[in-house]
Amino acid sequence: MDYDIKTLHPLEIKLLLNADEENISAENLMDKLAFKAGQYNQAFSWLSAKKLIEEKEKKQRVIYEITDVGRDLQKTGTPAEKIFNLVKEKGALTLTDISAALSLENKDTGAAFGQMSKAGVMALNEEKKAVITGEMPPLMKEVRALLDKGAAAAFASGELEENTLSKSEIEAMSTISKKRGGGSAPFRIVEREDVTYRMTPEGKQVKAQLKAQGVSGNEIGSLTPDMLTDGSWKNATFRSYNVNTPPARVLLGRHSSYSEFLDGVKDKLVSLGFEEFDGPLVETEFWNCDALFMPQFHSARDIHDVYHVAEPNKAKEIQQPYLDQVAEAHKNGWKTGSRGWGYNFDKEFTKRLILRSQGTAISARTLPNAKIPGKYFGIARCFRYDKVDATHLSDFYQTEGIVLGEDVNFKTLLGLLKMFAEEVAGATEVMYVPGYFPFTEPSVEIHIKHPVLGWFELGGSGIFRPELTEPLGIHVPVIAWGLGIDRMALMSLGLNDLRELFTSNIESVRLRRSK
Amino acid sequence: MPKIEVNEDSLYKYIGKKITGDEFIKLLSVAKAEFDGQEGDILKIELNDTNRPDLWSAPGLGRQLRQYLGGERKEYPFFSMNGNVKESGSRIIEVDPALKDIRPYVTGFAVKGKSIDEALLKDIIQTQEKICWNYGQKRRSIAMGIYRSDLFTYPVKYFAANPDKEAFVPLGLDKKLTLREVIKQHQKGQEFGAIIAGFDKYPYLVDSQGKALSLPPVTNSNDIGAVVVGDKELFVEMTGTDIYSLLLATSIVACDLYDAGYEVFPVKTVYPYDTPLGREITAPFYFQQPVKADITFVNKWLGESFTVEEAANYARKMGCRVEVNGENIVLNPAEYRNDFLHSVDIIEDIMIGKGLTTFEPVMTDDFTMGRLTDATIFGRKIKNIMVGLGFQEMIYNYLGSAKDFIEKMNINGSHVIKIANPMSENFEYLRPSIIPSLLNSESVSGNAVYPHKIFETGKVAVKDPKENYGTITINSLGFLSADKDAGFNLVSSQLSAIMFYISVDYTLEEAEDGRFIKGRCAQIISNGKIIGIMGEINPQVLENWGISVPCAACEINLDLLL
Repeated sequence: MDYDIKTLHPLEIKLLLNADEENISAENLMDKLAFKAGQYNQAFSWLSAKKLIEEKEKKQRVIYEITDVGRDLQKTGTPAEKIFNLVKEKGALTLTDISAALSLENKDTGAAFGQMSKAGVMALNEEKKAVITGEMPPLMKEVRALLDKGAAAAFASGELEENTLSKSEIEAMSTISKKRGGGSAPFRIVEREDVTYRMTPEGKQVKAQLKAQGVSGNEIGSLTPDMLTDGSWKNATFRSYNVNTPPARVLLGRHSSYSEFLDGVKDKLVSLGFEEFDGPLVETEFWNCDALFMPQFHSARDIHDVYHVAEPNKAKEIQQPYLDQVAEAHKNGWKTGSRGWGYNFDKEFTKRLILRSQGTAISARTLPNAKIPGKYFGIARCFRYDKVDATHLSDFYQTEGIVLGEDVNFKTLLGLLKMFAEEVAGATEVMYVPGYFPFTEPSVEIHIKHPVLGWFELGGSGIFRPELTEPLGIHVPVIAWGLGIDRMALMSLGLNDLRELFTSNIESVRLRRSK
Repeated sequence: MPKIEVNEDSLYKYIGKKITGDEFIKLLSVAKAEFDGQEGDILKIELNDTNRPDLWSAPGLGRQLRQYLGGERKEYPFFSMNGNVKESGSRIIEVDPALKDIRPYVTGFAVKGKSIDEALLKDIIQTQEKICWNYGQKRRSIAMGIYRSDLFTYPVKYFAANPDKEAFVPLGLDKKLTLREVIKQHQKGQEFGAIIAGFDKYPYLVDSQGKALSLPPVTNSNDIGAVVVGDKELFVEMTGTDIYSLLLATSIVACDLYDAGYEVFPVKTVYPYDTPLGREITAPFYFQQPVKADITFVNKWLGESFTVEEAANYARKMGCRVEVNGENIVLNPAEYRNDFLHSVDIIEDIMIGKGLTTFEPVMTDDFTMGRLTDATIFGRKIKNIMVGLGFQEMIYNYLGSAKDFIEKMNINGSHVIKIANPMSENFEYLRPSIIPSLLNSESVSGNAVYPHKIFETGKVAVKDPKENYGTITINSLGFLSADKDAGFNLVSSQLSAIMFYISVDYTLEEAEDGRFIKGRCAQIISNGKIIGIMGEINPQVLENWGISVPCAACEINLDLLL
């Protein structure tokens, strides 16, 4: 069977085509292939991994690399050279004077003088001054020659091959080179391994296949603007790619899937004729509860149900005439036909600032200026005094709104719920159950059969009590409704924990898809 | 919302027949009740209507369902009312004037009958708990005690006692404690003592001989106040702050015991001060007023065209006395109900009485124009630009800690809105900025492939003395890039792109802000207003968050650009 030559890199192809089958090494290929230094080893390792070539023999060799110290000495001279030349020029000098003149450390001067004294080149006279007693020794000349050679080599490869050095050079090199941590010596000793490869039978077969198919390895990888400009693409062939190579990951900008879901709900409601409303996160007891005709002693208004703002803790004022009218409605029903709750409404308590606990607060503040007929909705962030877990959050979105009109009644309320069930939730069956909300009468809950989730409570609705609407200046019936869309959101995002909707984890948001 | 547990057989007895399965669940909806499961012979039921405490017991729930199924309305002959006060004989409670400002009202009645059995005893204790907790504001406005009436003699005295002089053996203990000790040491004292602890004197109930009945609203005495299975004669007492809810609760328990087969005997309370119902009140007392509903209003509200007789008949199914007067339905609330404030409350009874599912859903034909807010429309435009710039949108929670919103951000935080009654220090502040939310994301996402480019358009809120609420909610855009070379130039280019596409001219002015590196932070100014801030995040802030990649961020007040 043919080898899949698309898996071969151009370097591999060129190497297979040009190598001496029995004797493959960087050295042998140097003339034929203009690879860069590291590319030979790259190609060898890829081809070995594919078992198209195999190792034939390994040869060790030693290389001396000149270090920064070496380059320095080559330029400025070794301490021994400097001392020898100084004394040659100035005559007898004490070692201290030499150190001072050459800016050498005393110990370095001492060490260099010691070497030369041992070699009989210099000695101390009777005045304890250094004098010259002989010629520059061969070893020192060899060192100088090596430094010059090394520096010259540095311009090319930076290396001196051991097998190019004479015996005496090697001897001299041993005094000025170190293996590891060679930074302090003029030369660093590096051991290299030269490997020679040969082609495997499969490699030979691939080579034949490459030849037969006329693949040269010179096929074009990337099409460049230059090629398009000069037309050179016309005579080129393009390298075939492996189309099954796993693609690299792209990081892209994206909307949050949860936000997409919420925007979808908003668009749906707008398409059904609803106008969006909004309100502040910090609310007063007045709009959050009192305007909704929830008595000030209602259990849902307990300190353990609503977050109070520490400072400032009260609004400066509550809008009139709504404050007085609401207060009267609580007290004795005002002009609403109700007997009221029969208690003394506290007008200071109602100014207290809290974090909005229900979206209905926005419905209430929308009423005084609402259009008739009118349909409104909001997806409002609300705050609850709940322990955070998979089904409870301290802040979350509530979807709710109102419908006002002369012809609004209990049957249009049912129609509205049916529309939500079908249009927003895609329900196949609905069931209505009497419900209870402190501010509506009558009240209904709608349970729906969702194609995936089965039966669940989609939401609740009711007609606002006249004690709520009349004091806010509204004299037509008003439907209040709320939808629990969180379960649908979780399903749509493939989640089962509400906390995940608001997660901080970038990767989990990045990878999230909505169904 | 109260959840109750009732004995299956006893509930069926009160309903008058055995109903199970789906039929039972459907029937429960008449009482706005939900079936919550069954354990052995105990049914768990959740009651949704917080204004109907009469439904929170087996006799009460059973009564409502029995009447809906066609059962006769039961008469309760022991009720007094204005102009018809029942004889209470020696059964009298005398009230001390000093209680007027402490816990002014007390009611009571006595019952006699068969030996009390375990199911009924449990039911009574449950009623007491639910009514006092859910309807009586955790005993603040209603507390109830039950006593063995054969162990004490009338008149009962309700007086304001010196908490260090008076002492009795409280329920469950075997030694005498002073009233103050009861509040400090008894388990119920620790739970409910705070209601009276602030007064110099405590409300205290004793019999004519000075024997203790109870320390309301905390606990009973261990002898007279310890009702056990087998008792046949009981005295029920309630104390509180609102006479009407107290009388209603009293009526509910009296009707429950009457339905359970006991004879009810009235008790008269004599006050030395005025009450809304005079100085002598004999309980159980029927104080409710009739409520009217005009049939035109009923039909408008329901979208129907019932005759007044039809509507009255539907209402009757729910157990109240209903009469017809011309075009009006006149409803006399049942003795155990006080949830009729307005005609609309009658309408609900009519609706449920007729059967919710018999109403046909109708689509309104009012034409209205759907519309998003300007802020949403502008926010979407911004979001699309951010996505085009390669940013991932995030949605965060708005509550957090001082640590995250203030300390780690290297700001003084005087503008940050604090919650007075936080549930935990992790959710104690409202976020003043999106930037801490973004940094929090960074701090937990070190293993996500870089670069990170994240943003949120959401709300923040800060103090603002100019505002009526002293605070302001702002629609804000925050974005952050985290990468090895994320710096001022990057965020400045991103800002420039955003501003170009929303056609806003702006200038930058070097600013000092602890969140950013000095000299690499700028205020964004447009139309003479500061609309935002941007720069390279201060390495001190990055270290505070445990972030080891440079970050550059920007935040813009979108409301100022609308």
